[in-house]
Amino acid sequence: MENVRLIINFLGQLLPAINITLVVSVSSIILGSLLGLGLAAAKKSESAILRVISAVYVSVIRATPSIIMIFVVYYGMPLLFSGWFHVNIEGWNRMYFVIIALTLLFSAPVSEIMRSAYESVSKGQMEAGLMVGMTPFQTFYRILLPQAFVVALPNFANSVINLLKEGALTFTIGVVDMVAKAQMIVANNSGGYAWQTYCALALIYWVISLAIDKGVTLVEKSYQAKRKTIAA
Amino acid sequence: MLKIDHLKKGYEGNEILKGISLDVNKGDVISIIGPSGSGKTTLLRNITTLERADGGHIQFAGVDKDFQKLSSQDIQTIRRNVGFVFQNYNLFNNKTALQNITEGLIVARKVKKSEAEKIALKALERVGLSDRQNHYPSQLSGGQQQRVGIARAVALNPQVIFFDEPTSALDPELVGEVLKVMRDLAESGTTMVVVTHQMNFARHVSNKVIFMADGYIVEQGSPEEVFAHPSETRTKEFLTDILANV
Repeated sequence: MENVRLIINFLGQLLPAINITLVVSVSSIILGSLLGLGLAAAKKSESAILRVISAVYVSVIRATPSIIMIFVVYYGMPLLFSGWFHVNIEGWNRMYFVIIALTLLFSAPVSEIMRSAYESVSKGQMEAGLMVGMTPFQTFYRILLPQAFVVALPNFANSVINLLKEGALTFTIGVVDMVAKAQMIVANNSGGYAWQTYCALALIYWVISLAIDKGVTLVEKSYQAKRKTIAA
Repeated sequence: MLKIDHLKKGYEGNEILKGISLDVNKGDVISIIGPSGSGKTTLLRNITTLERADGGHIQFAGVDKDFQKLSSQDIQTIRRNVGFVFQNYNLFNNKTALQNITEGLIVARKVKKSEAEKIALKALERVGLSDRQNHYPSQLSGGQQQRVGIARAVALNPQVIFFDEPTSALDPELVGEVLKVMRDLAESGTTMVVVTHQMNFARHVSNKVIFMADGYIVEQGSPEEVFAHPSETRTKEFLTDILANV
């Protein structure tokens, strides 16, 4: 019981730092999805150069461990910026570097998810749209995208959970997120209560993942329910 | 009304259409018959700009140009004046039967939603599916889906409707309901170009039959001429084969 009390106590101390984790994750998800969409479009484009760039990018990024990506961005980008644009970004909030690194990491699997979801929608759907006089863009937006979205959803949720976990590396460049906070707690207790502290941390991650899973299931259900009630 | 001259199309050096010329007049019901691989479907897809022809000329809906010189504006004009019924129906899977029909009216034709729904309901009634308006394609039989496909084309009131083997994907017992709808359309004066293996339809509903083989039009004329008195050996062989299997 003592342990449970301790874990609950640590939960209370860790939770205030959840903001950082959420800001980092949500920003990376939004930016990474946009970049992923661009990559998927490039992969499907008629330009061979765009296709190659997109393919190489995805293959390199997918092979890069998150911690390496974070270090490369954190140490590399300031050099790049001062060298090329003569801009000093070393004073940037370190969170930005994490967001950029996670955005790059997230965009690769997401572009693949989007591409395969798009390909799963039959070519005939586009042709039918054109033959009722819609433009290719109108057909994409109104007919193909909604269908691809439903297909992509479960895999997308998986990637989001992965991103969330990779975000736990944020502390490595000195951003005080939940993981950093946990380390401080352990240090303050002179190394004591370490496993209770990290258990509390794991619990928080578990609850967030659960929420994502439930959210996706709800969205999927609402799609199916909509079809059933209308037809009944 | 629609005039095609010397339409050519090939894939990777393989010539599928070797110069097809075709005239469609208002009220025509033209059946295109012929063995598989003769280019019938390719012909429809090229006339309607689903594919871009390699050569030839089109005169339709104010467009009077070589296929290769069609601007995107011309292509849009052509598409907005034709209807297309697909072999695999290709209903929008994320839309109900009614929405499948209103979609083109609202988005492409800018018809008001209430007006579009009125038109769509009338079209559904015409194909006998008023009671299925809120069903999704996955909840409809093949025959019903194809009837919605036809209603979708009809509702746009195009100058001509192309049918690409509309009954070929259907179970035999569902073919009749689709053919009946097509027959009704033909009798009400709709201009139709139909690629079909249904010889009864070609013979008894259309006013003109085109026999295609190996990328050419081998023979064309009234159903009577083509079916009862074919002049080409190739036509005779095809008809003997296909009628023997009926």
